[in-house]
Amino acid sequence: MKNYNVVGHSVRRFDAVEKATGTATFTTDIKLPGMLYGKVLRSPHPHARIISIDTTEAEKMPGVKAAATYKNTPRVKYNGAATSMITLPPMAPVEDQYVFDNVVRYVGDEVAAVAAISEAVAEAALKLIKVEYEALPAVYDPLEAVSPATPEVHKECREGKNISGDLTKLNMGDVEKGFAECDVVIEDTFKVPVQKQVQMETQSAVAQVGLDGKITVWSTTQAPHPCKMILSKVFNIPQSKLRVLNPPYIGGGFGVRIGFSGKAEPIAVALSMLAKRPVKVVYTREEDFIASDTRHAGYITVKLGAKKDGAFHCIDMNATLNTGAYASWGVEAPAVLGCMGLAVYRIPNQNYIGRSVYTNTTPAGAMRGFGNPQGIFALESAVDMIAEKLGMDPVELRLKNIIQVGDPWVLPYQCASTGLAECIERGAKSIGWERRSKLNRPGDKILRGIGIGVGTHCSNAWPWFGDYSNAYVTVHQDGSVHLATGVPDMGTGTSTTLPQILAEALGVELESVSITFADTQATPFEIGSHASRTCYCAGNAVVAAAQDVRKQLLDYAAELLKVPPEKLDIKNSIIYIMGETAVDCSCSCAPVRQISLKEIAWRAHQQNKQFIGVGRIIPENAPPWHAHLAEVEVDTETGQVRVIKVVAAHDAGKVINPVIVEGQIQGGVLQGVGYAISEEIRYNDKGKQLHDAFHKYMLPTAEDVPEMEAIIVETNEPTGPFGAKGVGECGMVPTAPAITNAFYNATGIRLKEIPLTQEKVFMALKERA
Amino acid sequence: MSVILTFTLNGEITEVAVSPSDTLLDILRDKLNLVGSKKGCGKGECGACTVIMNGEAVNSCLVPALKASGANVETIEGIGSVEKFHPLQESFMDLGAIQCGFCTPGMIMSSKALLDKNPNPAREDVREAISGNICRCTGYVKIEEAVLDAAKKLQERPARRG
Ligand code: FES
Ligand code: FES
Repeated sequence: MKNYNVVGHSVRRFDAVEKATGTATFTTDIKLPGMLYGKVLRSPHPHARIISIDTTEAEKMPGVKAAATYKNTPRVKYNGAATSMITLPPMAPVEDQYVFDNVVRYVGDEVAAVAAISEAVAEAALKLIKVEYEALPAVYDPLEAVSPATPEVHKECREGKNISGDLTKLNMGDVEKGFAECDVVIEDTFKVPVQKQVQMETQSAVAQVGLDGKITVWSTTQAPHPCKMILSKVFNIPQSKLRVLNPPYIGGGFGVRIGFSGKAEPIAVALSMLAKRPVKVVYTREEDFIASDTRHAGYITVKLGAKKDGAFHCIDMNATLNTGAYASWGVEAPAVLGCMGLAVYRIPNQNYIGRSVYTNTTPAGAMRGFGNPQGIFALESAVDMIAEKLGMDPVELRLKNIIQVGDPWVLPYQCASTGLAECIERGAKSIGWERRSKLNRPGDKILRGIGIGVGTHCSNAWPWFGDYSNAYVTVHQDGSVHLATGVPDMGTGTSTTLPQILAEALGVELESVSITFADTQATPFEIGSHASRTCYCAGNAVVAAAQDVRKQLLDYAAELLKVPPEKLDIKNSIIYIMGETAVDCSCSCAPVRQISLKEIAWRAHQQNKQFIGVGRIIPENAPPWHAHLAEVEVDTETGQVRVIKVVAAHDAGKVINPVIVEGQIQGGVLQGVGYAISEEIRYNDKGKQLHDAFHKYMLPTAEDVPEMEAIIVETNEPTGPFGAKGVGECGMVPTAPAITNAFYNATGIRLKEIPLTQEKVFMALKERA
Repeated sequence: MSVILTFTLNGEITEVAVSPSDTLLDILRDKLNLVGSKKGCGKGECGACTVIMNGEAVNSCLVPALKASGANVETIEGIGSVEKFHPLQESFMDLGAIQCGFCTPGMIMSSKALLDKNPNPAREDVREAISGNICRCTGYVKIEEAVLDAAKKLQERPARRG
């Protein structure tokens, strides 16, 4: 693979100094003159109609400056997820919520909000709001919610009772005929839990409504531009007058705020409009748990058939996901689940139907992997089950069946690169796959096992949504270079990797590049940081902008150097004639054979010209690939599962910054470990979350981290910037099945439901004994 | 009703008017505008607000401000600067231990409290020291490496006298 000057190097992150010294600004740090604090009153009922609501007493309280309810806020239906602004026709986005409504649909749903001079005053005022509810029947399970006897969470459901938006139907070949031709068929249903992003900075926003009609919103959003569009629609303000920005840092995201899934932004705007002062809304951790999107829980059925020789021949998958009280990404999560589930293996006959169902629980939306980890847990469990039936080694069976470049699949783009075979082989070698049958002796109280899970993902949001990218590159009058891009950096390193891409593409030093990001008034449109798209899409736009400005520079230099522009190149910020070495020499001893960016920018400036590049791209898409191998220990006396080691081998195309990519993989793996063995939100029979705090929701801590090895398998993806593909979500994708398959290898028990909590495992062991 | 709290903050005697219900985190962030210490929960469960008080790492969101009276408090703002980073800051920056950065100040302060007491920690000591600090981004791997790396750097430095 080609060696580059800047790309491929683990340069120190641009945001490192500010973050290491505590000077990095987050939304929760913002304080403006005259700023008020907003607090939200939430529904204690899972489903109820508001008969009356009275804020008079609250508003009389000293220090209270505004109160908002459904009566004095816009009656405009919207969907807080960016889907509402990027859904491609003929599909139409599901818009099913208001800032405040007179019906509440889950415990925690927003009822009213107050702005006051302090959080304490605002909180006290909430207690003075009088609300009379008429309780309505509620439903919590998606399979129950589609049955005739249960209540309707929303009325407008075109595909059937409580089904949110459209179904996803995918098909290739002939499934009925396919199964008839199979020698071995397995079928089973798997259950996946509610997982929470638990990003460290809770949902927050500060809104400032100017007297000139302009509105500024500092926000934790991962998608400032779509966020601006949704706010513009709800509040009927021209998009040009709405500025949404990160300040510029966000304390994590993992999908929870692609748009706004909590309502901090619209509530801050509504209160600021009423109070005519800036308003800050910071959700507490409990609010963040109960009132911002979770991962979709649900049921996935897989029927998989193979020929005697192990060749997969037919698959039928279906998924019913629980999207909670509002759709958010309810249509798209099952779509991605199906597409990614069907894209891993070469299977001539395929069928998939996916749907999301409304219930009276916290809305589910996007979380790292976006449906894919759910589907891959089911699929990769099924693959191990059929391997056993075929009497084949799970690694060999996978190597035999994985998609190769050029294979047909259900996706409208090509698989143009895959390093999956190498990922599997190197992963298996590193974990010591051959030890698998010799890990335990009869009578062992601690059983060990090794398992594998593989998968793929996307590098942007198309074909599930519209996806395009823009970037501006400006050469300043001293030759230094500025990049403006609309994507945030939520910790994933965008604000470093995009400058790396620019420096490489333009031929300048990284030190001369600076970046402005995630600000709707300083950057062109971007759909945001999600779908593992940022490096791939925004990166391609940066390359395009670099090429644009490079052409302007070379054309201008060609006249000065009296050579055709094709003969020129830029290296280390010096334009030179190819074939001649660029020297850092500014004396006038020889005819001009080269010119620095600094010189040319200044000359141009003196002739009333600046070099400004614009990049606009519509991306292809590309599959990253990954194989995870896990080793676990199961204590047969207590039921405790410990993950000892995870090897994560990833093909992310050309890696722009290896340390950043490793960090993405490691972080994703640990979230996957949590998904597999401990993380879960459950509800009581009154619809209240039982796991709404750090001490109740079992996140992995530093003491739970298995030995982790990230293996990077580089391929060259022809559609990506310098060959790069997506990686952000991938660490999450095949971790759970690697662990559950290892659990099966250890115990011989196939649990079809995650997480493998101690209690669940203990019961399963007891049942078998 | 407010009371004057006097304590040493990052080496300087500091006086600030506090109300009895304020926490140390409240006064650092809201009254003294030191927003490096973060609030991830306000309940002592995430470590984002960790500062060092009299040599111990504490969750400042749980410390009543008045408890800090006369105490010696160190925050992320006081341990290093662009001119001279603390070795932990350097190692966090160089080894990729920072992603979103929201846990970082707390992580660094918990780690510093450890290294102040135990300059040669084992991996287990590091894990224990940061076990109350939640990081959702990194998977902790690079954080652990960074703390061990900083310990090494501190040991290699000539011991300071005086
Ligand atoms: S904010 Fe203090 S421990 Fe979470
Ligand atoms: S770096 Fe984001 S929480 Fe630790």
